[in-house]
Amino acid sequence: MAEKFSVIMFSGTADKFIPLGVLTQAAAAMEMEVSVFVTGFALGAFAKKHMEPPFPAEFAAMAPALAKGLKAAKVPSWEEMLRQAKDLGAKVYACSMMSEVMGLKKSDFSDLVDDVVGAATFLEKAENGQTIFI
Amino acid sequence: MDAGATRRRVVDARDKSCPGPITDLALAYRRSKIGDVIELWATDPGVRADVRAWAAKTGNELVSLEDKSGAIVSVLRILRR
Repeated sequence: MAEKFSVIMFSGTADKFIPLGVLTQAAAAMEMEVSVFVTGFALGAFAKKHMEPPFPAEFAAMAPALAKGLKAAKVPSWEEMLRQAKDLGAKVYACSMMSEVMGLKKSDFSDLVDDVVGAATFLEKAENGQTIFI
Repeated sequence: MDAGATRRRVVDARDKSCPGPITDLALAYRRSKIGDVIELWATDPGVRADVRAWAAKTGNELVSLEDKSGAIVSVLRILRR
């Protein structure tokens, strides 16, 4: 059975979405079974109607140079990278509790989200694999 | 296995940043058969370590890894699907 790589995506700022994209895409390319549990401040970015995640205030001064560097290096957006991971088999789950708190139903999420599940379901999927918290 | 049916596929991932080259390799791998050879062209220096890791993880063979015409060319033989 394939090794598992799971991400608990909690943070809602743009800097944290970059490693989400890079690591899920890389893990999927390594033929790992990838699961992402989206909760907390990250959830809003997965709604159909959403704003791009903002840069955190402490890094705001670096944001323009970083954006320029990312563009020069032709780094795809976090969404493109996650989509590529999904094309290779990654699954994205929205946290049911946080969805309810934010008034988001399954139909409110973009097609990046495969399902709305509880924490226990995610933990069962992630069992005996590597799990990181972003 | 019919050796005549094996193929050599060239994958051009030059100018793609990590993890683009490994992803293109994975996409070619998904379309390959046992015995096929994939030649991956990349410019991201991370690819040198990444193809070794990819081959070890997926159980395939890194046949060669060399610098050619300003690119890093990895040749992989598919042993496992």
